[in-house]
Amino acid sequence: MRERLRRSLVRVGAMAAKETQHVLRDPRTLYMSLGMPVVLLFLFGYGLSFDLDRIPVAVEDRDHTEQSRSLLDALTASGELEAVAGAEAGAAEALFRRGEALAALVVPEGYADDLSNRRGTRVQLLVDGADAVVANQVLSKADALVRAEARRLLGPDLADVAPPIQVRVFTLYNPEGRSAVFMVPGLAVYLLAITAVLLTALTIAGEWERGSMEQLFASPVGRLEIVLGKLLPYLVLGILELQLVVAFGAVAFDLPIRGNGLLLFAFGAMFLVGMLGQGLLVSVVARNQLVATQAGALSALLPSLLLSGMVFPIENMPAVLQALSRVVPARYLVHALRGILLKGNGLDVLWPDLVALVVFAFAVIVLATARFQRRLA
Amino acid sequence: MSTAPAPHRPSARVQLAAVFRKEVGQTIRDRRVMFLLMVAPLVQTVVFGFAVDFDVDRVPTLVADGDRSSESRSHARRLLADGTLAPAGSAGSVAEAERAIDRGEAAAALVLPRGLGADLAAGRPATVQVLLDGTDPNRATVAGAAASRYFGDLGERMARERLAARGMPEPARIDLVPRIAYNPELRSPPFMVPGIAAMLLVIVTTLTSAMGLAREREMGTLEQVLVTPLRPLLLLVGKMAPFVVIGLVDVMLLVGLGTWLFDIPIRGSPAVFLAATLLYLMTTLGVGLLISTVSATQQQAFLGGFLFAMPAIILSGVMTPIRAMPEWLQLVTRLNPLRYFVEVMRGVLLRGAGFGDLWPQLAALAVLGAVILAVATSRFHKRLA
Amino acid sequence: MSGAAIEAVSLTRRFGSFTAVDAVTFEVERGEIFGYLGANGAGKSTTIRMLTGLLAPTSGEARVAGHDVARSPESVKSSIGYMSQRFSLYLDLPVMENLLFFGGAYGLSGRALRARAEALLELTGLAEHARDTTGALPGGIRQRLALASALLHAPEIVFLDEPTAGVDPVARRAFWRLIRDLAREGTTVFVTTHYLDEAEYCRRIGLMVDGRLVALDTPAELKRAWVPERVLVARGRDLAGAAGTLAAVPGVRDVSPFGAGLHVLVEAGREAEREVAAALLRGGARDVEVEATEPSLEDVFLAVVGRGAGGEAP
Repeated sequence: MRERLRRSLVRVGAMAAKETQHVLRDPRTLYMSLGMPVVLLFLFGYGLSFDLDRIPVAVEDRDHTEQSRSLLDALTASGELEAVAGAEAGAAEALFRRGEALAALVVPEGYADDLSNRRGTRVQLLVDGADAVVANQVLSKADALVRAEARRLLGPDLADVAPPIQVRVFTLYNPEGRSAVFMVPGLAVYLLAITAVLLTALTIAGEWERGSMEQLFASPVGRLEIVLGKLLPYLVLGILELQLVVAFGAVAFDLPIRGNGLLLFAFGAMFLVGMLGQGLLVSVVARNQLVATQAGALSALLPSLLLSGMVFPIENMPAVLQALSRVVPARYLVHALRGILLKGNGLDVLWPDLVALVVFAFAVIVLATARFQRRLA
Repeated sequence: MSTAPAPHRPSARVQLAAVFRKEVGQTIRDRRVMFLLMVAPLVQTVVFGFAVDFDVDRVPTLVADGDRSSESRSHARRLLADGTLAPAGSAGSVAEAERAIDRGEAAAALVLPRGLGADLAAGRPATVQVLLDGTDPNRATVAGAAASRYFGDLGERMARERLAARGMPEPARIDLVPRIAYNPELRSPPFMVPGIAAMLLVIVTTLTSAMGLAREREMGTLEQVLVTPLRPLLLLVGKMAPFVVIGLVDVMLLVGLGTWLFDIPIRGSPAVFLAATLLYLMTTLGVGLLISTVSATQQQAFLGGFLFAMPAIILSGVMTPIRAMPEWLQLVTRLNPLRYFVEVMRGVLLRGAGFGDLWPQLAALAVLGAVILAVATSRFHKRLA
Repeated sequence: MSGAAIEAVSLTRRFGSFTAVDAVTFEVERGEIFGYLGANGAGKSTTIRMLTGLLAPTSGEARVAGHDVARSPESVKSSIGYMSQRFSLYLDLPVMENLLFFGGAYGLSGRALRARAEALLELTGLAEHARDTTGALPGGIRQRLALASALLHAPEIVFLDEPTAGVDPVARRAFWRLIRDLAREGTTVFVTTHYLDEAEYCRRIGLMVDGRLVALDTPAELKRAWVPERVLVARGRDLAGAAGTLAAVPGVRDVSPFGAGLHVLVEAGREAEREVAAALLRGGARDVEVEATEPSLEDVFLAVVGRGAGGEAP
């Protein structure tokens, strides 16, 4: 029994060594797993943010008084909103259609008059709702700015009647509210997921097409041994990639690293086994490089992006999708990575994620081995 | 054997028809590829259409009520009632609240100090604390703003009541009246679903066309094709053709599905939409072909296609606004056909934009497509080396 | 165009520091069956690729059907048919669809194309397979399809690169009958082959060794030039073990296995049959028969290669 295990391990080792040779001989694989993710992380880390400023707003002042001008100045002073010249009320939609403005603000005639006569006055804001993200920001920014202006003008009147209620906000973890802190761990996981699946998706399918599978089957190597042997070099590559990406992210984007490095390694390794296994499963079933890549890309690209909690919170999704996201390993690693890096969470908080990753990895490897038929047809 | 002499300059039309017929035949025959190209994107669009939601709401919030008066309880209740914040239980102290945020059990905590109710009633200054989990800055901002707004409004309301009670005239008020054009409830699907469709199309078109030619090279059939007088441009165009058709069908199905399932309107000109789709498909297919002319194997072709698709998807303005990117990156996106296609889709479907509004995007797509195709043709030598 | 269908003058192709084809010069006449022999890697396929416009020559020139392969490769392609060494038609298409595609690439269409395709399928004995998926057909049948495809547009010149590799002897015969018919009707055939017995069908043969064309002539002339010795064929049992004894026999120049027997090359003019037989019997062979025979192309090949690079006929 021990002898059989030993021989089996030797065969796995031989397969892994052969696969490593392939990898080392092909610089593109190395570039794809080590170089490209760093480049993409850099690109996306800077590119992906929700923080808008200098939002073009078409402003129309129908009052032409000192007070109306002061309101408009206040609104554009901080630079968050930027006035676009030449707006009339009716033309706002034309501007929206051409993408030249995202909102239109109208200060009504009689604004100053209303203010001095202690009447209520209404400032109209029309927002381009076609881009919901931007619209939300415009709404909240405009709202805050108008309130601030209102307080400035009218506050003294009210202050001695009833002092304001102060709200003190303390932000734990990421007090500056940088998008990068939120996005980069998610991006790292995303890149890891994609490269893992795609690296392996092509290997077995390619061998089927080139015919070298026949020779493999003529040897005594078993299916599980082939699967594990092919997985090992990419696992090593993947772990290197993870370290590289996290280190790079920490340096370039000033990410904190509060937690335990070893824990990060464990999570990363388990995640990689699962994703590499997914790629292998795809290529074992596909037997054809074109199908393997399409299936691999489609099964990894969008689910990891949209269902992992990387951008959109999972809690806000419909129940069906929340359930679906449980089968997306990226979800667990994103949660764990954010927890470990930003909050210093430990195993006591994150153990469910680790268990999920282990289960996924195991299931995928078993499936890949089972579907791997040692026959040619 | 009879000798039917071949025409000395083979007709381009005949050659193109032959390539097209072969490509269609091959694609249709492979059922798995057809599934992946037509059914999978539809399914994914539906699934993800439901998943993406930019609205920040129901942020799990703890309440640490140090006052436990009826006023403090009612304020807490009202703050958590409008839907932005959702009650996630209570905490006995600030430290406990922090620990809960640490463990991810809540993303915000409202800390009401002892004596709050009494202070408010007496008109004394009061301070309320809000703890936020800053990991997701967007969520944190919205939660913090909700609390600030609530208490700000409360303060102002109380002040006006006092004034009224003393018989003094109320000061003026400035109200911001927002109206939202095109998408009054700011639903995410009308805005995201076209983007998701565009993202899926890139994968389906660029990767398959990149691998197509490389596949012929690997299988050896390219040699036999190169030895015929088939013009390189016709070979490339013919290879693209079935995928243009598949892409068009995909887009129409996606829009149909979107209208039905997600209530996405179609306010603008379908002709503009169709033109943009055609130009977009030609550009993405052209990129794939360009990549395949410089790839010796399918693996290389795939890598190249992927290196284009990834940045194109993420830097397209679908997930995050292009205006939020640094200037230099915004310039780079001018080379991204996905960006233009998404802008056209949102413009036509949601804003009712027409040719006059969107001609810059259409022109950009046309120029990109033409240049890419020209480069691909010139790089595609009818020689093995 | 001038009389020759194919002209090559100092045609050379280098890959980095490796010279695959080294200053090859020859002419092939119209309607000739021209054979090109050589070991694997000798440069035959590379030569064909240059002649068909698939590879650009590094130096030298070639004219095929009157067009310069370097300057007007596309004109060359319209006038030639090509059957590559590795099967290169679409495995996932049915047989007829393959023909319709390649015919279309040559500008054939409509009813004329279909009629031509059907005629060729008849000719190559593939009519019953018209609807079968190409990948499902066995290798020998696929080769016939490749030949049919190369002939669709009735080219003046046909290049066949190892057309009968892996094909059974009966099919090979049939193939060569087709090739001979083609040549009789005026088509020039440039064929490379491994099978030296097939090479006998060619009017002239070129022999390539390590990129150089070391011999070019009719089979008869080649034999006369390269095998001046008398060739004896020895048949019997246990010959292999006894072959060593022949080294001692005076006048014996070379001994090589030939089929189940031996080819013994002896000095020209020497009658050594009895001595050879006796030596073999002494060496332990039995039922020995030795008689004179014509040299084969295999003998020529061995002589050419044996004399090494730069070999010259004696």
